Formats: sequence, C-alpha cells, structure tokens
Amino acid sequence: MNRIALIAPLLVAGLSAQTPDSAFFEAKIRPVLAASCYGCHSSKMKSPMGGLVLDTKAGLRKGGATGPVLNTGKPEESRLLVALRYTDPHLQMPPSGKLAQPVLDNFTAWITAGAPDPRVDAPSSSASAPLRGMPVEAGRKWWAFQPVGERAAPVVKNPAWPSRKIDAFLLARMEEKGLSPSPEADKRTLAQRLYIDLLGYRPTYAEIEAFVNDAKPSAYQDLVERLLASPQYGEAWGRHWLDVARYAEDNPTSEATNPPYPYAWRYRDWVIEALNADMPYDRFVTLQLAADKMPGVKRTDLRALGYLGAAPVYHKDQRLSYDVISTFLSDDWDERVDAVSRGLLGLTVACARCHDHKFDPIPTKDYYGLASVFASTMRSERPTFDVDPAVEARFQFVQRRLFDLAYSRNLLTNEASTVVGSEERVNRWKQEIAALETEMEAMRERYPVLVQNLEKYWRDPSKQAKQAVTARRRPGASADPFMNTVYDAANFVDGSDANYTWITYKPGEPRDLPVFLRGNVASPGEPAPRKFLAVLSKGDERFRDGSGRLELAGKIFTDAAPLTARVIVNRVWAWHFGHPIVGTPSDFGTQGDKPTHPELLDDLAARFIANGWSLKWLHREILFSAAWRQASNRRAEGDRVDQGNSLLWRMNPRRLEIEAYRDSILRISGALDANLYGISQDLDAETNTRRTIYGRIGRGRMNGLLKLYDFPEASQTAPSRDLTTTPLQQLFVMNGPFLRAQAGLLAKAVEKEPDTDAQLRALYRKILARDPSPAEIDLGLTYLAQGKLEEYAHVLLATNEVLFQK
Amino acid sequence: MNRRKLIQQLCAGFGSVGLTAMLEQQLGAAPLGHYAGPKMPGKAKNVIFLFLAGGPSQVDMFDYKPALLKYQGQRPGSADLRTERQTGGLLPSPFQFQKYGKSGIEVSELLPQMGTVIDDVCVIKSMYTFNPTHTPARSLIHSGSILATRPSLGAWISYGLGTENQNLPAFVALSPGGNGGGSLLRSGFLPAEYQGTPFSDSEEEPEKMIANLRNKWLDGQAQRKQLDAIQALNREFSKDFGADDFLEGRIQSMEAAYRMQFEAMDVFDIRKEAEPIREEYGKTPFGNGCLLARRLVEKGVRYVHVYHSAGQDWDDHKDIEKNLRKRCPDMDRAAAALIRDLKRRGLLDETLVVWGGEFGRTPVSESGTGRDHNPYGFTMWMAGGGVKGGLAYGNTDEFGFKAVENRVSIHDLHATILHQLGIDHTRLTYRYAGRDFRLTDVFGEVVKDILV
Repeated sequence: MNRIALIAPLLVAGLSAQTPDSAFFEAKIRPVLAASCYGCHSSKMKSPMGGLVLDTKAGLRKGGATGPVLNTGKPEESRLLVALRYTDPHLQMPPSGKLAQPVLDNFTAWITAGAPDPRVDAPSSSASAPLRGMPVEAGRKWWAFQPVGERAAPVVKNPAWPSRKIDAFLLARMEEKGLSPSPEADKRTLAQRLYIDLLGYRPTYAEIEAFVNDAKPSAYQDLVERLLASPQYGEAWGRHWLDVARYAEDNPTSEATNPPYPYAWRYRDWVIEALNADMPYDRFVTLQLAADKMPGVKRTDLRALGYLGAAPVYHKDQRLSYDVISTFLSDDWDERVDAVSRGLLGLTVACARCHDHKFDPIPTKDYYGLASVFASTMRSERPTFDVDPAVEARFQFVQRRLFDLAYSRNLLTNEASTVVGSEERVNRWKQEIAALETEMEAMRERYPVLVQNLEKYWRDPSKQAKQAVTARRRPGASADPFMNTVYDAANFVDGSDANYTWITYKPGEPRDLPVFLRGNVASPGEPAPRKFLAVLSKGDERFRDGSGRLELAGKIFTDAAPLTARVIVNRVWAWHFGHPIVGTPSDFGTQGDKPTHPELLDDLAARFIANGWSLKWLHREILFSAAWRQASNRRAEGDRVDQGNSLLWRMNPRRLEIEAYRDSILRISGALDANLYGISQDLDAETNTRRTIYGRIGRGRMNGLLKLYDFPEASQTAPSRDLTTTPLQQLFVMNGPFLRAQAGLLAKAVEKEPDTDAQLRALYRKILARDPSPAEIDLGLTYLAQGKLEEYAHVLLATNEVLFQK
Repeated sequence: MNRRKLIQQLCAGFGSVGLTAMLEQQLGAAPLGHYAGPKMPGKAKNVIFLFLAGGPSQVDMFDYKPALLKYQGQRPGSADLRTERQTGGLLPSPFQFQKYGKSGIEVSELLPQMGTVIDDVCVIKSMYTFNPTHTPARSLIHSGSILATRPSLGAWISYGLGTENQNLPAFVALSPGGNGGGSLLRSGFLPAEYQGTPFSDSEEEPEKMIANLRNKWLDGQAQRKQLDAIQALNREFSKDFGADDFLEGRIQSMEAAYRMQFEAMDVFDIRKEAEPIREEYGKTPFGNGCLLARRLVEKGVRYVHVYHSAGQDWDDHKDIEKNLRKRCPDMDRAAAALIRDLKRRGLLDETLVVWGGEFGRTPVSESGTGRDHNPYGFTMWMAGGGVKGGLAYGNTDEFGFKAVENRVSIHDLHATILHQLGIDHTRLTYRYAGRDFRLTDVFGEVVKDILV
C-alpha cells in the first residue's frame, strides 16, 4: 500500500470546501489517471498512445501528438476534459467507458484551479501502472461489446433525401458538417454499379438499355431483386467471403506432411451455393465451424468444414524434436484462433498467445481456451456419399494414421542411415500398415471407393517413396468423391521416441491445453480448458461437447452476437460502399478504428439480427438507400470538409478487383464459360475461360495474375484488399496475350459490319456498353486509317473506363 | 467534348506533352518510403543478397578447423554434436585453406576468387539460427519469422525506403527459372506492391525474363500510337468524371510501363556488358544474376535477391567433396566479381552485399561423406555498404559446430542490414492485426563491431 492511499481519507473531508490544490490532485486526480490512463499513456512505454504521457508532470503539460491537452484555468478548452466528457465522437477517453460524473466534476474543478500538479518528474513507480491488458471487467464496457439495438432515425433538415433508415444517419452527420449529399447517379451508372457489385462483372449494352428504358417506378428494385436471385451473385459474393476464410487449395510449403487439399474446391462451391440460397449468416458460419456436430445436417453441407479442413498447416519433419514439432503444431492451432477471432469476431486474440493482450481484455487463458478447441480438432477427408457413421469415424482416423505411417516408412527407407534403428522402426510400421490394410480391405465390397482412397498407402513403397519424401506439390484438385473436412480428435505430440516424433490423434477425445508461458510449448502453466472469451461470455464460458466447436459457434451467435453482427455488417458495408464504417474490419479492439457512424452500425446490426441474419436483407437495405445511389464525382465543398469521404457525401468510385476485371473482359469478348461450380483450373491456361473464382488458389505460389492485382495472400484471413496501380499491371494490359486474344475475338465479331464506322460503333457497344461520341468516332477512324481493328478493340479494352466504376 | 483537340492529342503523341513533364517531376521527387524513424549513420542505399539455399558448409569454405583432422572420425566426449539426423565422427574438410590478402583471412581452396577480394569482405563466422529444417529456417532468414506469413526482408526495405526508379520494381529476385524464393518474396501484411518481383537469370534475353515485357504485335512507334489512343480516351474520361487519384495514377502508370519496356530491355540485357566483364562474372545463371544485380542497383532498384540455384542445392547430406568442387567455382567467381566490379565503379560503399544460406552444416559426417544441417553455428559474409572489409568476426567452437564468440543471430543480421540502410530496426513498424509488427520482432542488436 502506498502513502497516498493512507493520507487520502484525511484530506477528502475538507475537499469540497477547499480550492483544488496539490492534495486534491493526489486524492482525486492522480488515482484516476493511474487507474484509467497510464495503461496507454505512460512514460514507461516505447510509444505511448497518441504520443501522450500522463504519468509525468512534463508529459501532462506538454500534451500529445496533436497538441496540448490542458488549457489551465479553462476546462472547456482542455482536450483532456473534452475526451473525458465523451462529447466529441472522435475523442472519447478512456476507451473502456465514460467516467462517472463526480469524477468529471473533479477534473473540471482541478483544471479551473490551474491544474496543480505536485509531481516531481522521473515518474514514481508506485503511481504508474505497468503495461498490461485491459481487465476483463473493464473490457466489458468497450463499445464493440455493447448490445446492439435499433435506434431512432435522427431528425434531418432535408427529410426528402433519405430513402432508407441508413440514409437518415448518414445525412444527419453530413448536415452537422454543413454538407449535402450528392445527386443520384444516372441510370446507366446505376445499372453498371449494380451488376459489378452483385454479379461481379459489367453489364452488356442490352442489359443497361433494358434498365434505362424501364420506366416502371419499381425498375430499380426489380433489377436489384433479379440480380440477387441470379446464381452469379453467389460467385461474386462468395469470393468476398473466401478472402476472410483465407481459402486456398494447398499449404504455404506443401511438403510431404502438408500436401495440397485436393477437394478444397468443394468448400468454395458450398460457399457459392449457400450465399445464393441466402443461408442465414449464423447458420452459414456455424456449418463452417461445426457441421459435423450439428443434428440433421445434409451431407452436402459437410463441405462447409473446408473452412477448417483446408486451413494452412506447416510441414512437420518427424525427425525433429518433440519441442520443435510441438511448436509447429501450436502454430497450426494459432492460425485457427486467428482466423476465427479476427475473421468472425474482429478481435486480435492471437496477440494473447505469449502474454495477456496488451490492449484488449483478452488474457492468455482465453487464447488457450480457444486454442484447445483446435487442439481437439483434426483435418480429415470424408466421402461425399453417405456411409455408416462408425465406418466414417474409423476411416477418418485410419486415413491419417496410414498417411503418417507410409510417409515415415518411405522416409526411413530412403534415408535409412539417418535415424538410429531405422530398420526396426520401419518393420514395426510396416506391420501396422499391414494390419490396417487387412482391416480396411474387409470393407472393400461395401465401400470400394473408401478402400481405393487408402490403397496408395499400402502399395509397394519403392514405387512412390521418392515422390512422397521430396515432392513439393503444386495445388492439384481432384474430382474424387471426397471433401476436406474436420472431426473431433485430440492432437498430441508423442515424444517417447527421442529420434522420431509422432503426432497422434485420439478420435472423439478433447484436449485441454495449459497456458504456454510466453508462448513456449516447453513452459506449460495453468490449465486452460476449452472455453469462450471471458469478456464476451454471459454465464458459463466452458465448452463440454467434444472439441467445443459447436458451442463456440453457439457463443459467437448468442453471447457475442452484437459484436459478430457488427463485424459482418461492417464487412458487407465495405464491400458495397468501398469503405467500411470501422476502418479496421478485422480489429474492433482498442487498437482498431472507431466507427465513423456508431449509431448507424448499431441500428443496422440490430435489424440484421432481427431479420434472421439475412445477407440479402442487408444487401437490399444498402442498395435501396439513397446513399449508395449517389453519384461518385468529387465536389469541391465535400473535399474541403471531408476529403476521405468518411461521411459518404458521395458514392466511392471503385477500381474493379481482378475477378471482376477478368470476368468482365471475358464476358465482353464472348469467351466467358458461364458454367457454375466445379474443379479448379489453372488461371494461366489459355483455354481457361471460366470465372476467376474457379481458378486455382495457391498459398505457396500464388497465380501471377492474381498476385499482380493485389489478391490477398491466402495463408491468413484478409481484412480487406489494398488496390494498387503498378507498371507491371499495365504491361499485362498492353502486352499480355490475354487482352490481345479477347481483342481478336471482338474484332472478328464486328468484322461483318458494313464499314469502319459501323465496326467502331459495334466495338463501343460490346466493350464500353455505350455508343461513341462523334469525337470518339473520329479518333477511332483516324487510328484505323492505318491501324487494325483488333488493335483498336485492344485500345478500348485497356481504357480506364473498363477497369473503373463510377 | 472537343473533337479536334482529342485528335490532336492522338496525332501529336499524347505522351509527349504535359504528362511527360508531370512524370519527370514525379521521378525526380524523393522516393516514397514509409520509414519515419531517426536516420541511422549507415550509408548503404541498396542491398544485394546472394543466397545459397540448402545450407552451405562453413567448415569447408571459411571456418578452418584443424581440430577436425586431429579428431578425425571421433566424437570427442566434451562436445555435444547432435543434430536431427544420425551423424558419425568428425569429418575433416577435404579442402586446403590458405591466408589471403592483408587481413590474412583463411579461405578454402574452393574459393580462390573470394580470396582475392577478402580484404573487402567481413566474414561472420558466428551466425546461428533457431530451426534445423529448411523451410522454417529459410523463412526466418527471409522474413525474421518461421511463420510463412510475415513480409520478406526485401519487402520491408522497399516499404521503408521506397524505390528510386518508378520504372522498375523496388524488390527484385533472380534465380534460374525464376522460381527461386517462391512465397519467400511475400509482402505478407504489407501492401502487395512491396512484394518481390521474380525474374529468371537462366535467360539472357530480357523479354524471356519478364512476362509481357515486349509487345509482340506492334513496334515501338505503333505501340506509342496505340497508347496515345488509350491515353486520349482516358483523359477524356477523367475530364468527364473529374479528378480521381486512381484514374490519374493509372494514366501515369501506363506511361511508366511504356518506358519500362525500353528501360528494362536495356537494364536487364546483360549482353550489353563488355565481354571481359561477362567473363569475369562467368556466363552461368548465378554469374548472370550477380551481373544483373549490379546493373539493377545502378538503376535504383533497392533490393536484389540472387538465388544461386532453383532448389536447395547446397544441402549436402552426402558426397560433399564432389558436390562442392562442382558447385563452388561459378559461385566463387561471380560473387568475387560482383565485389570487384562494384568497387571499380565506386558503388561498393553504397551497396551492401550479403552472402549465405539458411544455416550451415555439421563438422561430423552424415552417411560417411556428407554433413547434416547445422543451425548452431555457420558462416555468412557481408561486403560494402559501410561494413568493415578484411575482418573475420566471431568464432565457432574448436570443431566449427556452435557459435561461441560474438554470436550473431538472424535478427541481429537483419538489424544490421537495416542500420546500414539508415533504418532503426525498432522503428520500422507496420500496424496489423492489432499490433505493430517489426522485421526483427522483439529481437535484434546491430552488430556494431563490424561497421566502419
């Protein structure tokens, strides 16, 4: 106990009658600073938040990166008090919640009195809080964890503008800043925007004209409904989700123990189908986490488990030590914790692997509680067809065991001298393989496909040994009737053989990890049983049903529902508007951005839940708004007040993502193969004219075109895409064979037109979906006096107009 | 829309008017780096990293250990020489060592050319790493982490310092076939523009090295005309829509790409070098790669990673003598030529050359004629960029197994490289997933002893 606490009670009695002085600071101000501020604003930190230090007198006087925080004698002009009072939506401190009114009154009185500060610098250790996580109890007050509720639409000066509730929230903020919204975009622009947004490619001339000429008052609504009902909607929006789900078909290294996932594409197809069916978001996610544990699930929905079943894993050379293999395995679990927490909850739980989260209310125990769920889960391949549940359970285990045994047998057969006693081991493993072979062969008659799937493991090793050991495999999809999934099985590292480390799986059993101190698997601490994050839990946090995946999903959509809804609503918002409400879509913690429109986000999230977590409902709510229909041109007064357009005084124009760009060009040229679903194909193959979402996605080696156009690396969940503009992209456009081939097809298609003028007009309609101006005709004719039609088709394909959406 | 003006733009050559001036202005401007910390005293501007994947053997190249002969075939009880695989007794280096230069640094007979430039080289004999397996160890030396998700050293440097030539990528990787490095060239959570751009150095014609570099249908003039038409339409579109960063950026980027075709055709064409120079480097992929690396840094490319081979060739679990005799000459010749050539051109001071692999090899034998992976002690070297020449730094134990004196970790190496580029490694950070990430994580000490 420190001295201040002892003397404080003596002083308090006389305080109300007394002018604030040094004792007042010690009794009323300093304890609050210490408890609520030093955690982020301490001279002991390398980089205190906002450059502001409050545990020294000098720091408090100096202020932070944006200037002084005290104007002594003038509380109203002191940013410290502005922040504490929560009157400015962008400056609210402490972030855990507004302090009580009497505390604020003390600060007001203290600043009025000249902010006396008796501290002598070199901060005293007793007063400065060590840097550590926000306590869970304090964390419960964090804005993102509060319940969501419908909010009354704010009153606006221009009631004629809003057409949806979100508009009122947006307009109110604009009016506060003296801004007005932009006018509605023209119908051509709206049609293009809708097609690109909902279907992921540009509309044809005819499709635009149909909308422009549809005079019915419901024309816009009708188009939205038609596009939402189109199966191409799932292809466009499925891709958004796949960024979050870090979908790919192989592993960062794809070595012998972590080969590619041949059936990952079935997960991709499932995502497309589910979105097309407007599967409620809670069910959509729950199936991905735990379809195998849900009653009454259709077999085809087990494909959803690819979210975990095709997750990135690391190569584990079994000759490595127990500790090294344990670390690799814990890296795998860590990836799952990160994907789920950032992807679904917008929380950076993985920060709490080595120490309590430094900023958010997430203790390491919570991290390991979640990691335990994934330490109780194992990847497997399941057949797409129904089999006896007992057979399936055994098949999943045996398949991995055989994989490990065959790999080890081949490894030590090839490098016999490398591990002491190799021969003895290999013989033992061969016996186990033979026993499993006998067991599995017994069901060949009933399940021939299952047995065929396993045969490769007991076939003559000399014929495949080399390949199994050294091949670094490229993603190769298979059409065999299997799915990459998961099932409940505890993962353990068996270190009993000092020269050869096994990972063992115990089907049906859970595993509760200990906290690993400083993230070190060799330093186990207190037990961390499977459970949900404390700060989000109401009542019981523990999971008891096997791995706990189903309970985890349950918690995400009950206790954590407000946060979950905010996170997905914010993502969907960003995919429609080009900018999110919370600028850090995968971090809603204290280090993330605050929402630009908190009430709007709350209201929309609440109504999203009330409408059954329907994503199509959310699309309508946004697409029917006046805000989304605004023109996207810049305006001087808007730029002056809000150049970044965080108030949405105009629609954000967008650069098409690579999928929409490539798909649009293929559709324009007529080459697009519009078939839905199926096995992945190499995007570089000239014959591949399928939509880009069906291209092969690699974690080790990303396709060159995707990489060129900012496709996110698929080894971790992607919060958003950074869209860049580089010269190498333009080389692809100007010199690459892809656009040139499409230009050739287009030239061929318009050849039959009677003259150059007509050919040009036809090209304009096909490529830019509009008629050319006289000047554009002249330009084209001038070019074509010497150049070829094909070259000019290439010119039009290469223009900004194709890559850019107003 | 003004019809005449549009056509004038086309005929006059659109790129030759206002836009060019604007672009020149842009190119003249300071490179756009994100590093905002204090400027460190290092004076390097560029880095060339020569990488020998697989784990080159320190005791056969730079780390001369007479004790291996003395205890040949034995495992002296005092030393714990265990690694992942079963190994036998100490395997003396079959190669003779001799002292070179004023510094008298010992170099094996495998590297006679390196011997001639050794007074410009700082040999670090006390490197160590944390993982005995290729993939994670390679990830560590490329990105400071065994996790296959963190940005590569070249990406961090490009992010921190920007590029000095908008017509070329800031981070280039060269390897036979162009696939060396693979996902190790990643930008991770950094923006995608900072990822490494791979090219093949087993090709000599630029258009075979760079995808889409040359237009196969139009000559330069016809292509200019086509681009002018594109740009005329782009300009009209911009005029119609109003100011927009993307629209403007892409117009500029197209011009940059157009110029890059010619600049890259020139820069990447090592056939333009005089024959004696080509000979000096050797006409192998690695020789070509080293020569090209010099040409690239001359043109302002910030970071060049040259992979000696496409696979992990230096992984000599057996037949190490035969293999090294075969593999070393071209490596030796090219690496030494690079140092010599940079020095002749006055570029060595501002170019930091780094050499090494993901780990070293054991002094004990594996399968009689080879050596196992050894993360505990190995050799790397640096030259130029403000690093002391003619210095042998640090030491391994008497067998060359473990680094024992002046130990240098991978994070220390990274911190030192950044320091020489003027970057404080603790201040080059990127906010992602809720925290500030660093190349060196929470580790890394600049190895001050080796700096000029």
